Amino acid sequence: MTTIKSTAVKPDTTMLPARAATSPIAAALRQFARSPAGVAGAVVLILIILATLLGPHLYGVDPLDIAGAPLTPPDADAWLGTDYLGRDILSGLLQGGRATLAVGGVAALITIVIGVTMGSLAGFFGGPIDTALVKVTEFFQILPPLLFAMVLVTLFGQSLVVVTLAIGVVSWPSAARLTRAEFLRLRNLDFVKASRAAGGGNGHLILRVVLPNALPPIIVSATLAIGVAILFEGGLSFLGLGDPNTMSWGLMLGQNRNYVLDAWWTVTFPGAAIFIAVLAISLIGDGINDAINPRLRKRG
Amino acid sequence: MPPVLSVKDLSVSMNGTKGMVPVLEHLSFDVAQGKTMALVGESGCGKSMTALAIMQLLPEDFRVTSGSILLDGVEVLSASPKELRSLRGNKMSMIFQEPMTALNPLYTVGNQIGEVLRQRRGLSRRDAHAQAIQFLKAVQIPAADKRVDAYPHQLSGGMRQRVMIAMALACKPKLLIADEPTTALDVTVQAQIFDLLSELQDDTDTAIVLITHDLGAVAELADDVAVLYAGRCIEQGAADEIIAHARHPYTRGLMACVPHLQLGRAIDHLAAALDEIPGMVPPLGARGPDCAFLPRCAFASEICRAQPQPPLDRINAGAAVSCWRHQEIAPGAMA
Repeated sequence: MTTIKSTAVKPDTTMLPARAATSPIAAALRQFARSPAGVAGAVVLILIILATLLGPHLYGVDPLDIAGAPLTPPDADAWLGTDYLGRDILSGLLQGGRATLAVGGVAALITIVIGVTMGSLAGFFGGPIDTALVKVTEFFQILPPLLFAMVLVTLFGQSLVVVTLAIGVVSWPSAARLTRAEFLRLRNLDFVKASRAAGGGNGHLILRVVLPNALPPIIVSATLAIGVAILFEGGLSFLGLGDPNTMSWGLMLGQNRNYVLDAWWTVTFPGAAIFIAVLAISLIGDGINDAINPRLRKRG
Repeated sequence: MPPVLSVKDLSVSMNGTKGMVPVLEHLSFDVAQGKTMALVGESGCGKSMTALAIMQLLPEDFRVTSGSILLDGVEVLSASPKELRSLRGNKMSMIFQEPMTALNPLYTVGNQIGEVLRQRRGLSRRDAHAQAIQFLKAVQIPAADKRVDAYPHQLSGGMRQRVMIAMALACKPKLLIADEPTTALDVTVQAQIFDLLSELQDDTDTAIVLITHDLGAVAELADDVAVLYAGRCIEQGAADEIIAHARHPYTRGLMACVPHLQLGRAIDHLAAALDEIPGMVPPLGARGPDCAFLPRCAFASEICRAQPQPPLDRINAGAAVSCWRHQEIAPGAMA
């Protein structure tokens, strides 16, 4: 018996150093670095963020000041032209990006926090708790999100905070359903049962055992939620429901929409900025999806 | 000394679409400190349900309908969720069938063993890590100080099952339930795991409930055996007695299904066909009051068909059997 033991384990020992220290997160990051689309998206998004953080200081024109004649085409003074009030478009893009990205990020965070809380409680406990929470989720889901957000903004005022909260409040149901589905799949797996058999309480099981294993699709959907929230903010602003005192890409679109045919530059540049930012975020989401999807990882 | 685990008249039912369907009926057994009780039977006989009922981890829709489970003097069935949490891990723990899926893929094995210790014993992170290495050494994992930082996917099946055993024993429980601990492993590793379990049992005096269909393991490890068929215990007693003088046709059928290889035997004996038990375990809900094994039994006769399944009949100090014809068909009488 002893001889069998020692021979049986030897090959494993020699292989150990090479395979050690591959945490799932490190492996996912390495895999993400191999996805060209994901890396491209990350580079573009980082450039956009840097531009919005540093650009206003370098360019030095206040986005709300009158910089020239209204609707001046792009020239040497205003590189991207001016809008219907004579405000500098490039300055607006650089400054407005901050608000747009912040609204996207915070609204996505709200979406995920509400969605994951509802979904994990429903999926983990099942039974009457599940039924009740699913009913609440469905209630929010059947309301048309744009109309619902418009109602919220109209009721509580056109400020950036209200817009952000409104976007978060109307978009969490899909995150809740995704989380619930993952919890339903995971909660009966052996390692969850084993944790319970070792005396783990519900809080421990939800936060430390099930949730980390449910995270991959949630991370992907959180990334994509940022893009959706940016589009949402653009849509609300376009309809005139954005915060008129804070420059954002959506606001630029909304305020200049009457001059589309006369001054293409007033809407083309903010529109392109939204398009590129959302595209970059989608590419990152795809890259993360590839990196943490085990079926694809084995192929790579 | 009272037994560590005392199961009395345990019945479990499934709440199906057609009402309550019995899954396990009137099972009773005791396990004393340092002893091993084996629950044997085909798939679907209620072995795992017994284990899950003891741990109070029955799936939704399954209910304990009668009986009592005393663990170290505490009634498990009426314990509050809080009491249950402290029983699990501290007094009883469980090893699962599939070491591949029973470890959390996101944490290192040291982390998972340490987690139990930190929660239960209030150890610091560093102490728990050091203890985890000790436990990995105790379950004979080579290079334990390196493996403690390995993730489950970096370990072989046998290694993972050793880690499971280390986790289960981390808080020195009085009762260890091993639900087919070697089914997913290859044969050489199976023997190692059984050896390890019996060594650890000698060291720690843990009572073990071993769920298996490996009769070799029963002969080697178990002190007592209960043979389950379709949720009913049909033969129960001391392991050596049952292995040597199986009385119930089902138990004998099970034994005949295992190849007995012996050195020096004529080769044509090996070529002899391995027996099988024709038919299948009757599905849930299709189990009447008469002997559940009746349709598959080679010895079935009018006596068996005319009346319901007999209760376990104590034959001698070491064995009890539930069969109308056990006297006629006993191994001695057959010759």
